[in-house]
Amino acid sequence: MMKKELGSFVIGDGRRCTGCKACELACFMVHNQKSNHVGMTVGTVGVPVVPRLYLTRFEQGCMPIQCKHCEDAPCLNVCSKGAISRIEHQVVVDEQLCIGCKDCMQACPFGAITLLPYAKDGCLVPQSGSSETKVFAAKCDLCKDIPQGPACVNACPHQALRLVDPEAEREEKNIKAANALFYMKNW
Amino acid sequence: MIVAIDQNLCTGCRECAQVCPVCAIEGEQGKPQVIQTERCVMCGQCIQKCKSYVSLLDHGNDAYDRIRKERNLPDSVQEPLFAAYSVCSLDKVRTALKDGCTFTVVQCAPAVRVAIGEEFGEELGTLTPGKLAAALRKLGFDRVYDTNFPADVTIMEEGTELIDRVNKGGVLPMFTSCCPAWVKFLENNYPELKDHLSSAKSPQQIGGAIFKTYGAELDQRKASEIYSVSVMPCTCKAYECDRPEMKDSGYRDVDAAITTRELAWLIKEAQIDWNALREEEFDQPFGMYTGAGAIFGVTGGVMEAAIRTGYELVTGESIPQVDVTSVRGTEGFRTALIEVGDLKLKVGIVTGLKHVIPVLEAVRAGTLDLHFIEVMTCPQGCVSGGGQPKLLMDTFSEEAYRARREAIFDHDRELTYRKSHENPAVKKLYEEFLEAPNSHLAHHLLHTTYCND
Repeated sequence: MMKKELGSFVIGDGRRCTGCKACELACFMVHNQKSNHVGMTVGTVGVPVVPRLYLTRFEQGCMPIQCKHCEDAPCLNVCSKGAISRIEHQVVVDEQLCIGCKDCMQACPFGAITLLPYAKDGCLVPQSGSSETKVFAAKCDLCKDIPQGPACVNACPHQALRLVDPEAEREEKNIKAANALFYMKNW
Repeated sequence: MIVAIDQNLCTGCRECAQVCPVCAIEGEQGKPQVIQTERCVMCGQCIQKCKSYVSLLDHGNDAYDRIRKERNLPDSVQEPLFAAYSVCSLDKVRTALKDGCTFTVVQCAPAVRVAIGEEFGEELGTLTPGKLAAALRKLGFDRVYDTNFPADVTIMEEGTELIDRVNKGGVLPMFTSCCPAWVKFLENNYPELKDHLSSAKSPQQIGGAIFKTYGAELDQRKASEIYSVSVMPCTCKAYECDRPEMKDSGYRDVDAAITTRELAWLIKEAQIDWNALREEEFDQPFGMYTGAGAIFGVTGGVMEAAIRTGYELVTGESIPQVDVTSVRGTEGFRTALIEVGDLKLKVGIVTGLKHVIPVLEAVRAGTLDLHFIEVMTCPQGCVSGGGQPKLLMDTFSEEAYRARREAIFDHDRELTYRKSHENPAVKKLYEEFLEAPNSHLAHHLLHTTYCND
């Protein structure tokens, strides 16, 4: 079976998205529960909201844009510090190793990576040798350590985000096509 | 305006417009939204809903500090700020606390103690009355009182009024008047039904009027020296305490109402370590409360409290079941039939303001056969109020409301007294000061009129 040989990713639907940012906030929350003691309410947050997907406005409306977890990932290939790796099928950034060089940002064809402040234990972490805040390449990791799967998908009030299993979806389309062809008599 | 939407931050998603019970939020999809102030009832559900936060990417590095300053929030606030927000009233509270000549009194609503812990990382619905009292005392309040006490007084006043209306053919059905957003909604939209509202003030305002009269006497203070603060799960309570008529003590009965969230900011600003606080008691006599006062924080709670007392006042006998489960629940409109001796009391409970419209239409048409109706604006009563800790994900709402509701009922079960009329401090208040429920003095201090504008 080829199943799960291709990595999953989350995709947004610009026709359903209202631009409410519930996805960004949920993304931030689940990635900071352990590292920055974020609880379930806003008052437990003591660090800047750093999401890993980006609500994007365009002429026709808005939708979140996030990492496709490319099979031949340009960000991973270009990272000179070895801070980006593939864990199972996901392309994942090691925030501690990241030096904020922006190579991955430049390489990503979707703009799914940006550099944002790095916080730990409820405090912003300074850069080595400077009082400026350390930044890291913030991108979707498909909530790899989070039990209920991608938080953005669960948080969206309009089901405008979907976890795609590309191979399973292709097989499903094959079956639909086969059904359609089976009942077509005049060829 | 108490509730506002920042035009520079609003993304125009209109999620707030979906939860606004009075359709007061207007604007095109994708464009900043505007609150129609003449319709808004200041319930703050839009504040709970809004996720459009001040973002480094969208608004720049300096935006957060600037907006926090514009909103007059303490510098210690680090949490995300959103497009929909309520105006912060902490400045005047801080000034009163610092002023050595002012005698500061605070009361806190039943729903605050089952939610404020969440702002310090405690589980949803953690019950913390002792820590709440301790934190308020550490902040420097001279008297730490409780809204649950005047909630018990509300039952005495409102219950007596109901019995009187039933016996003497008064205006029925009678509506509860504890929820200021509901009262404002009726005043705005159904002024001809104003006589259906109980004339009893809300617990916050009853507390305010008692603290500056009987309370001042007990403490041998002048009412003019007292600064009275309330901590509420509600954004609309600040509007209620500023209503022009709310000065029957001769002064502003309540000087400032702050939300659960604002109190959490104040505690953090004062660097009080919530998790290390040792539990303390509320001050007496206005810190004495029953389970009936405690359940005001959940939908159906005022009704249940009124039935526990009303039953005994009418029949002279103890109610067979203190837990009146037939009025509990979370549905938007529910009814129950309660046998009170020979009287078959027909009651209704509305939670979520949009559910009240068909009820009001039926009252107007004369087709609603009920004696008494409780109305709360927020989805499940005050535990889900607009000033409560804001959840980071809406998917937590149901769990948060359930946990807070259960904590309130747990608290009710563990208290020595569970019926308002059994509260020793309430008995003493009537013996020493008010004489009797609905007495002349009680009417002057604890009752009000509507549609005065």
